Amino acid sequence: MTPNPSPTTPSEANGGIDGGARIGGYYGNPIPYLPLDVYPGKIIALEGTDGVGRSTQIYLLREWLEVQGYGVVETGWTRSELMQPTIDLAKSSNTLNKLTFQLLYATDFADRLEKEIIPALKAGFIVLSDRYIYTAMARAGVRGLDRTWVRNLYGFAIVPHLVFYLRIDEKTLIRRVLQSRGMDYWESGMDLKLGDDIYESFRAYQRSLLKEYASMADEFNFRVLDARRKVDVIQEELRRQIGAFLAENEAAPVTSL
Amino acid sequence: MTEWNSSALVKAATKTGKKTNALTPMTFSLLHATDFADRLLYNIIPPLKAGMIVLADRYAYTAFARDSTRGVDRKWVRELYSFAVQPDLAVYFRVPIEVSTERLLARRVKLKFYEAGMDMGWSNNLVESFTMFQGKVLDEYDRLVDEFGLSVVNATGSITDQQRVFRKLVSQHLEIKDDTESIADDPV
Repeated sequence: MTPNPSPTTPSEANGGIDGGARIGGYYGNPIPYLPLDVYPGKIIALEGTDGVGRSTQIYLLREWLEVQGYGVVETGWTRSELMQPTIDLAKSSNTLNKLTFQLLYATDFADRLEKEIIPALKAGFIVLSDRYIYTAMARAGVRGLDRTWVRNLYGFAIVPHLVFYLRIDEKTLIRRVLQSRGMDYWESGMDLKLGDDIYESFRAYQRSLLKEYASMADEFNFRVLDARRKVDVIQEELRRQIGAFLAENEAAPVTSL
Repeated sequence: MTEWNSSALVKAATKTGKKTNALTPMTFSLLHATDFADRLLYNIIPPLKAGMIVLADRYAYTAFARDSTRGVDRKWVRELYSFAVQPDLAVYFRVPIEVSTERLLARRVKLKFYEAGMDMGWSNNLVESFTMFQGKVLDEYDRLVDEFGLSVVNATGSITDQQRVFRKLVSQHLEIKDDTESIADDPV
């Protein structure tokens, strides 16, 4: 068997995450052995804190897109085959710290990027991503990890075609979470040792998370939606914006991306 | 004393990934960084704080050499490890690829899949793949010597010879540190 060409020379990119990076391209330092082309598929990410209604919206979007004849692939945070068991184990055994937490997330993301997202883009699927790298960045920010480091870490992420941020306020969020499944250890940021009171910890933690998301909205071109509205109203808005985006892309030649 | 790839946290994922040959160069790199971070926080920083000497059997340089050989971006992997503590002394035991292949083959029946770089698909022959892959890894190490000021020990010699050189390096280093400290503490 003939050997593959030697590893590519290091990238000339500045590294980190470039808010102005090309849609569908790498944010920063690339994966040299996976050069990206302009693929027919699209990545649509839904971001937002826990309990904001992402999965419901994704479920409805998928149905709508499929009826129109689009192929849809879903990918979600910590759902990689390789990492899910480890992440679950680490969460239950409580030995994670903020750094290893982040690295496990990044490994999970890399696994899904290479095995699910890129192949789906090549094959022309719409990838509906339940959370994207911004969740990791928000959590890292709240936990005081170096911002530049985290942004460099995710330099290999692909810039999504659309990012919707479901924005909610603290008060509504608390009611919603309590009405559904209750507050859990990690969602309440109990690892931050803000106090023994889970309610207070949840409130403080989610408040800082919301602040982090808000600060990223401009940097990463979030399309902000008010998540306090009814499910079908939000869904309608998502469909309107996604529909317009898809129509525009089908009308224009692929190279204009 | 801390060894590469030994943290309990990522053992399960690494094992699954290695067993099914499911690791990509990126996930291979990130899993090892996670392992390193775990050991750094639990096994390296606490003894350092207590004023102890930490002997690390491989350090971030292993990742730099190996991951770059696998095609991971050199700059990215260096930034990835920027949370690592800069070692006070880093020693690189250098051997030509023929010697290391010979030593391993004399000792072991089977080379491991990832160790031999079989995931790169450069050769179906384990020994050939190992020689090609590790040969490139050694080239990467050579770049690191200058970049990070690694002290090089010629590892083709006998263990006794190597140990002599190694001990000299370590003791020199400790003496130098002690001298500087005593000079600093002692106003003339």
